[in-house]
Amino acid sequence: MTVNFGGRNADHIGITGYALASCVGTGRGAHLDAITTGRSGLTPCAYPDLPFDCYVGHVAGLESMQFPAGISDFDNRANRLALSALQSDGFLEAAGKMRERWGADRCGVILGTSTSGIEKLESVYRGRTRDDDPLPDDYVMSHNDNHQAVAAFTQKYLGLSGPSYTISTACSSSAKALIDATQLIETGFCDAVVVGGVDTLCLISLNGFEAMQLVSREPCRPCDAGRNGLSIGEAAGFLIVERDHDHCIRLSGMGESSDGVSMSTPPKDGAGAAVAMRAALAGAGISPDQIGYVNLHGTATPTNDTAECAAVSNVFGSDTPASSLKGMLGHTLGAAGAVEAIMCIIALEENLIPGNTGLGELDPDISCDIVAHTRTAELSHVVSNAFGFGGSNCALLFSQ
Amino acid sequence: MTSLRLYLNKVAFSGPDLDSWEKLSEVLENDSPWARSSEWDPSPAILSARSARRVTPQIRLALTVAEQLGDSLGSDAGWVFASSVGEGETLHVILEALRTPDMMIQPLRFQNAVHNAAAGQWSIAAGITGPMTSIAALDQTAGAGLLKAALQVSREDRPVGLVVYDVPMPEPLNAKRPLGVPLGVGLSLSPTAGQDASAAIDITLCREPPTAPSQLASTALQATGNPVCDFLPLLELLSRKATGQVILGLHGGSALRLDVSAA
Repeated sequence: MTVNFGGRNADHIGITGYALASCVGTGRGAHLDAITTGRSGLTPCAYPDLPFDCYVGHVAGLESMQFPAGISDFDNRANRLALSALQSDGFLEAAGKMRERWGADRCGVILGTSTSGIEKLESVYRGRTRDDDPLPDDYVMSHNDNHQAVAAFTQKYLGLSGPSYTISTACSSSAKALIDATQLIETGFCDAVVVGGVDTLCLISLNGFEAMQLVSREPCRPCDAGRNGLSIGEAAGFLIVERDHDHCIRLSGMGESSDGVSMSTPPKDGAGAAVAMRAALAGAGISPDQIGYVNLHGTATPTNDTAECAAVSNVFGSDTPASSLKGMLGHTLGAAGAVEAIMCIIALEENLIPGNTGLGELDPDISCDIVAHTRTAELSHVVSNAFGFGGSNCALLFSQ
Repeated sequence: MTSLRLYLNKVAFSGPDLDSWEKLSEVLENDSPWARSSEWDPSPAILSARSARRVTPQIRLALTVAEQLGDSLGSDAGWVFASSVGEGETLHVILEALRTPDMMIQPLRFQNAVHNAAAGQWSIAAGITGPMTSIAALDQTAGAGLLKAALQVSREDRPVGLVVYDVPMPEPLNAKRPLGVPLGVGLSLSPTAGQDASAAIDITLCREPPTAPSQLASTALQATGNPVCDFLPLLELLSRKATGQVILGLHGGSALRLDVSAA
């Protein structure tokens, strides 16, 4: 099939490597297994002192990992989570080859995160006994809570010295990071970019979503008639995006928009989401009926799933297969864009449409074709949605 | 070496005693001194007094910069917001709440805790539905913001409003990362030379040390520690309507070389 890229991908930009860690495990194998079986990684939250009960997507074993001695000043949960992904599936070797091929100066690092290493700042704050106590002398903001901290760690750990910055647009952050990586290569500012999405469980996210009455007491059930909120998860996902690679999966279209109406609630018809998805199709020069699967943002809050599905059926019609991965991975916030992009790439590679883990009875108000259980299908093009607070919408289109 | 050409249509500035580009430009042109004379809390005209009270000084500052650019950009424009620390006041309030047993966070506080709170509030206040992003790169946030704006102008062939802002955080955060004074810079950029274009900027990647500011006011502003000040050498050049070269640092060792010429 001939695909018109609308002038895009003249540089033959491909995704040449990826790695991920989430509550279902570390590495491609664990995530393929989760897609195949539909198992959920959500478990009862054991966070000390949390004043309510919920389920979370917790990544086990981060505390006992050995952190690289030379850069131990970056040691925090977010960078440990990043490290667990970076050390899996031969990613370090792939990144090394990338660096050798292009030179460290030509390799950028673009991260997406909402909370970076803020979990450490929370414990430092809580460790202060008096209101006017200063922060401890050995606490360094630039390596921990600052938004750029995980990007800085990744640059150091991988030995890369091209342009680097962090996108922090809440839950669309690391989806947008893939757009910036592509643009850096298209403009010739980089030859390759390591894109990451990292967010850990932390008290701010847990208590903040709880304050908004958006946290479910059970494992979340996207698109279910009885869904009652989200489950927060932690995850890290990294992708290598390089020019001059024809025979790999590529980001063929991308769309962004703003709702412009509310910080936290999309319009009922998901109008902004639809604009982003249409822009992704237009950029790729692909028609809606060529899309084999739509990965929903699908957070399992009552309003968001209905609005998103209205937008999806508006753009693609009501019979394009769609599902949410949040019942499997939880809502991994700023990491969701990159992690779920990788899940879509695995789906493309394996010709699998992931099922909608956690779905019991489909909400009759959900207007698109929700795939309850994973099934095989010939896939050429898939769309992945990521939306965030601030009305920030991003849709990515991956092709093989 | 790749070079991206941008056209500059408008500059915005917001800081204590210097609440417009015209004021800063005059100070720089005359090489006048600057010293902060009073407490200052910017108040964007686009928000009602009631709405302004419900958002942070960070958001109010970003919106005063964005609204200075607003009339130079159409509805097809993209918007890039960049801030080194983002919502520092909200971060502190929430962290303090976590020291109490019930950990109660105000819902409005939480939804405005995100780094893109200012971008989101601007999209709502101005009714903008196009692409908008929010980025950070520690001490090199100004360079990162301009880089992203340049990528978007050139790859998406659309005008872009760039808003770079930082406000000092409350204690004890401030002691760890003092930012001095609230400062914001805005640039209205486009891919083609329109009638409003005041300068052309060619951007290339280099590994040279960043240009330091040289005038009285900009040196004093830079001493505050606010990373927005990375833009001051460029603003010095623009205030003189001069051509020349400025190096703007990026995180990780590279830098942007800006060759400024007449539009």
